[in-house]
Amino acid sequence: MIRIAAVGDVHVDKDVLGRFRPALEELPGHADALLIAGDLTRHGTVDEARCFATEFGGLGVPVVVVLGNHDHQSDQQARVTEVLTDSGITVLEGDATVLELNGHRLGIAGVKGFGGGFAGACASNFGEREMKEFVGTTEVIAARLEEALKSVQCDALVALTHYAPVPDTLLGEPLEIYAFLGCYQLGRAIDAAPTALALHGHAHHGSERGRTPGGVPVRNVAHPVIKQAYNIYQLLSETVDTELIST
Amino acid sequence: MSTQLDEYLEAEIQSLLTDGRVAELGITVNRREHLLVLGGEVESTHRRDEICRQINQRFPDVQIVCDIGIIRASAPSEVEEIS
Repeated sequence: MIRIAAVGDVHVDKDVLGRFRPALEELPGHADALLIAGDLTRHGTVDEARCFATEFGGLGVPVVVVLGNHDHQSDQQARVTEVLTDSGITVLEGDATVLELNGHRLGIAGVKGFGGGFAGACASNFGEREMKEFVGTTEVIAARLEEALKSVQCDALVALTHYAPVPDTLLGEPLEIYAFLGCYQLGRAIDAAPTALALHGHAHHGSERGRTPGGVPVRNVAHPVIKQAYNIYQLLSETVDTELIST
Repeated sequence: MSTQLDEYLEAEIQSLLTDGRVAELGITVNRREHLLVLGGEVESTHRRDEICRQINQRFPDVQIVCDIGIIRASAPSEVEEIS
């Protein structure tokens, strides 16, 4: 059994320091790792990244994150990544990591993702240069997620994104902005690998649960959606139960 | 001339909250007959107060009601099994 904690969209700045920490101090007793689905900071500054590292670092469990659109606002995403990495936090962007937890290998592949929309209401790679660049960016990022997911040898595989891979978890958001909240290409990438769980944020007014067309459970862990410091998900329960019965 | 409570004002407020210091994209602005109701949730009381301060400063003749909440940050009490 593996238990992972997850949250997104915590938007840390000086005014948030200390708000999450009491709940985070309890986390090692309840979960084996913490995954954060982007929008770690408010404006993507180095100072805010340091605040995030102070609040979410040094927990005694591995912390794995992707960046979100807020973390790109100041065009300092490389420095933000450096600050987080120096603090022992793993930042994924088109790559993957494997954590050895309780005798199991948890694979996590992550990208920020991008918009574009979903079947029946999505942007096309056609027309003006700006539109082709927009959809082209989406396609490149989704391809990197698929490659990262397929690169991992593990017992349980988790996809971590900021943007949504399905429209199910956007329910509650205005339909008009779905195309800015996620894209079907991320869902297709997730379905192309044996993914056990997909986690995302970004949709503050969305819903918590959904599934990809291929049946992978999707959870929107944006802080305004889950309304607590983090959620906890249990993976590989059947494997552990079977082993317990056989012994 | 007093500020009209119309769609342009709503869009201008959304833009004000997105740009610059506030950087809050999830605040809703609902127009009533004589006032604006702000909704949504933010991470701190400081942010909520800053949102109201900025709107009051920019549109001093517009009556605003602030229903913005602060998101709870307590530890969870349940685990979800993924199968």
